[in-house]
Amino acid sequence: MIRARRYQDARAQARSNPELAWWVFMRVSGVVLIFLVLGHIYMTFLLTSELQASYSVVVNQLAQPVWKIYDWLMLTLAMLHGVNGARYSIDDYVQKVSRRVWTKTLVYGLAALIYVLGTMGLFIISKAMLAG
Amino acid sequence: MYRAREGQWAFALHRISGLLILLYLLIHVVSISLVLFGANAFTVLHDIYGFWLFRVGLIAVTGGVLYHGFNGLRVAIMDFTGWGTAVQRQLWYGVLAISLIGLLITAWVVVPRILAGH
Repeated sequence: MIRARRYQDARAQARSNPELAWWVFMRVSGVVLIFLVLGHIYMTFLLTSELQASYSVVVNQLAQPVWKIYDWLMLTLAMLHGVNGARYSIDDYVQKVSRRVWTKTLVYGLAALIYVLGTMGLFIISKAMLAG
Repeated sequence: MYRAREGQWAFALHRISGLLILLYLLIHVVSISLVLFGANAFTVLHDIYGFWLFRVGLIAVTGGVLYHGFNGLRVAIMDFTGWGTAVQRQLWYGVLAISLIGLLITAWVVVPRILAGH
């Protein structure tokens, strides 16, 4: 993990190019996620009760391309941002090497599985699912 | 006794809120993805989430997202501007104020719904 206050410091501290790229990614994706996630919470939790999100409401919503794209962008950025943040925490707090490897394998594996599930869901959902 | 300064509280809260949001994200994506397994599978879980404690939990998630988002913005401001670190303490109190106000507004909107059961 890079502990820097400025981009210039981060560049000097980075052990590798990928590590610097992640440092930049966390900031850029974070700013984008503020808009996407707060917009998502506002629309699905404040403007309407989350109890209204029944099967047919969710299918109708996610059958529209604009929400497929919005949600998939949010899902992708949030997963990468969240799992990379978890990696920073694991590196900091899980000291024993073997345990660290297992923790990372578990977290990455679970997140990848759920990301694939969510992505499939977003692109498979269609209004045809309401007919049956 | 050792007393942490604001920056350390900001960092600790950022870590904790981030990890909890990740946990919520994973559960949330699985729950919504149940749509793929039919109306029954989705509705069984959707009904369980109607329990008041889960609904209060969502208010807390909103507060956590506000804190993590705006504190993240504070971090980015420190990293990419020349003036950010000089006012990071003031910015953090701003972050706390925004999070608290956002949390109160969310509770103001959602708590009556929970009490009314809709």
